Amino acid sequence: MATPRTVALGIAIIATCTSSVVLFLPAITAPIHGSATYRPRTPLENAGRSLYVANGCIGCHSQYIRPSDWTYTHMRVSQAGDYIEDSPHLLGSERTGPDLAQEGGMHSDDWHVAHFTDPRYTRPVSIMPDFAFLNDQQMTELIAFIQSLGDKLADQRMARQRYWKQKLIAAYAKGEDDNVQYLNAHVPPQWRDMPNPYPPTPEELARGEFVYQQECIYCHGEVGDGNGPAARYLHPKPFNFTLLKRQPWSGGLLYYQIMNGITGSAMPFFKDDLESAKIWAVSNYIAVEFIGEHIDSNAADSGIDAALEPARKPGLTMPPYEGPIPLPTGVTIQKLYQCCPRTQPKEPKTPCCG
Amino acid sequence: MNRFKFIDTSPGATARRFIMSGAWWFLTAVVYGLTAATELVSPELVKTRYLLFPRIRPIHVNTNVFGFLSMLLIGAMLYALCRLCRTELYSERLGNWTMWLWNLSVVLGIFTLAAGYTQSHEYAEYVWPIDLIIMACLLMLTWNVLQTLRRRKQHLIYVTMWYLIGGLAATCIVYFLGNVMWRPSGALYGMVDAEWSWFYAHNIFGTWITPLALGLCYFWIPRESDQPLYSHTLSLIGFWPYFAFYLQVGTHHLIEAPAPAWLKFVAEINSVGLLIPVFAFLTNQWMTLRGKWWRIPDSVVLRFVFAGTVFYFFTSVEGTLLSLPSVQRITHFTNVVVGHSHLGLLGFAGFIACGAGYGALREMYGEIWSERLASLQYWLMLIGMVGFTIVLDDAGFIQGNAWRNGEVVYRVLPEIMNDYIMRAMLGCFIVVGAAIQLYNYWRTVQLHKERSAQELALASDYIEPAMEAR
Repeated sequence: MATPRTVALGIAIIATCTSSVVLFLPAITAPIHGSATYRPRTPLENAGRSLYVANGCIGCHSQYIRPSDWTYTHMRVSQAGDYIEDSPHLLGSERTGPDLAQEGGMHSDDWHVAHFTDPRYTRPVSIMPDFAFLNDQQMTELIAFIQSLGDKLADQRMARQRYWKQKLIAAYAKGEDDNVQYLNAHVPPQWRDMPNPYPPTPEELARGEFVYQQECIYCHGEVGDGNGPAARYLHPKPFNFTLLKRQPWSGGLLYYQIMNGITGSAMPFFKDDLESAKIWAVSNYIAVEFIGEHIDSNAADSGIDAALEPARKPGLTMPPYEGPIPLPTGVTIQKLYQCCPRTQPKEPKTPCCG
Repeated sequence: MNRFKFIDTSPGATARRFIMSGAWWFLTAVVYGLTAATELVSPELVKTRYLLFPRIRPIHVNTNVFGFLSMLLIGAMLYALCRLCRTELYSERLGNWTMWLWNLSVVLGIFTLAAGYTQSHEYAEYVWPIDLIIMACLLMLTWNVLQTLRRRKQHLIYVTMWYLIGGLAATCIVYFLGNVMWRPSGALYGMVDAEWSWFYAHNIFGTWITPLALGLCYFWIPRESDQPLYSHTLSLIGFWPYFAFYLQVGTHHLIEAPAPAWLKFVAEINSVGLLIPVFAFLTNQWMTLRGKWWRIPDSVVLRFVFAGTVFYFFTSVEGTLLSLPSVQRITHFTNVVVGHSHLGLLGFAGFIACGAGYGALREMYGEIWSERLASLQYWLMLIGMVGFTIVLDDAGFIQGNAWRNGEVVYRVLPEIMNDYIMRAMLGCFIVVGAAIQLYNYWRTVQLHKERSAQELALASDYIEPAMEAR
């Protein structure tokens, strides 16, 4: 029964049959039309794609968004029609770095130059290797490819990046104070008027410092003057926080710019990366460390204070300390507030008609 | 001292040279692996593009698969082939050429990948000309094996040979189709390309590495424990369904990618079905050892091979679990997958290859140069391998759960840095183990060269298959 011929033929038949099912059947039934957002790549972008392949970027970066991914950069789940031109495919199997399926237009071109030169310039805890060995032409190609990821959606984002890049460069050329006024004028007024709701306690500042060092330091610098090592690759330059010493500003203004980024500049949005409390913390850190005058933190009276922080207007809304307050005997929490009954009252049985 | 001959036609030369090449590539591959692991901890360690992580990761993977595992397993298999057929290899000359060409492809692979020439498909990164060399080697090897089998002096062929023949037959097909050999780019388009490349990537283990390793278990476990194989019925259950199920599971790498739903379903069903041949195999092996467990600490060969079967249990069960969508939602894209491939390739196939290499050399040359060094290597590799599993799974679950919680990939990196550091440290154990193995193999072979032809003949007489069909 088990002769070499039986085994070889048997296995060859199994391999042929299974290949027909799992290889040829999908191949002949595959979609041939692009998805709604698909567009062909340009020759420059294809040259960049070759560099992406040659340098093994696929080892760390995937290029498809799963239904289970849910940050802001994962807004659209990838479709088979997105990939019809891709050869070889670059779906990837690892996410040591972020997924790049919709990376196009998420960052400005100059952000990418600084990032490829030394990834830690823009992402201080990154473990990506340096790609400074790419020459200018290769860098241009690779960035063109990265900025095309997401096809038509990426094109829309890039159009927005380029439009605001021109505006921001013009404002930057007018001088420091004009630039600050220009930037502040583009923040919605309700955010400009909003003070930082959290008091600048030492713990808060320590948290803010931690976030600043993990996210901001190589652009905005150790002293917040916008002279980090990435600055020389970026135009306009990273913001100099000390300029706010002589301009009106607020905690909410800083929060808004960190959350939303400044499209067109190298300042990315951080609403994916940082939770709200962390953005307020780094905003407090920047205010205390680099601006240092008229700190608005914890200034507004919003009525009911948070349970855990000092009252905003001492004495006004803070009740005097009288020691632990005992419950009256025989009273439960439920009775005290007349809420949260632990058992549902039984509904009276109604006789079923008919 | 014998003079070095480019084509050595003495009996057993092909097997020996394949084994020695495998040991050499093991050391090379794990040195690359350690460098890559260190770069993940210290990304500014090297600045030269030829040693950057993204370029040496495929070198590490391909040198392990095609250099270390393929060559060592082929060498050990050719030795088993000759013993089980009670004959000599059909053509040592052809075998030598196969060996040199195979080595050439691995060398070329390292240089081309370092220079940035790649097909960008996992485990198929070698460019087209190298694919052609490997394809030619596979065909030469198949021819040599089939011709040897034709000249066998033992009518019935043993299970080990089924796996060798089946593995070669299926691999010739899988390698040709999976590398899209009729297109020099080695790639199709879009999702079809992804489906084909994962068919290949999964089956280079399913039809090549694993069958050879399983076949060697069937050879060495009965032989070292001096027991007949437990059940030939179980061998059959372990063999045919294995190939029937395995060839269809590739798409489970694309469960959450936009591949056809029915194809994912096929992959998942077969991934679960794969447990049937796995447990048939494991029951068969472990029941063969019943009453002879004390042989495991005594024999360094059995120790390696037995540890390989235990790792096979874990990697198979883990593989089935990872193919389930509910599990994959956490583990996909994370280091759990990296841990799984280390468990399968180093833990399962690697341990069996190292053990089978020691076994073959010991029988060819009478003894292992140093059993104690071999034992030390076993413990180093065991600590390294178990450690890899722990730290990589830990890192993977941290990543997967953090992402499910909405954290971005970038912010999870500091959370898994400790695991990366531990991984690099554990990599040192594997590198030392590989160096010990190369030295020990080499000294064992040198031992032989100083022996007389008469002693060698005696050593050959000692070789007699211990297993008989029940």
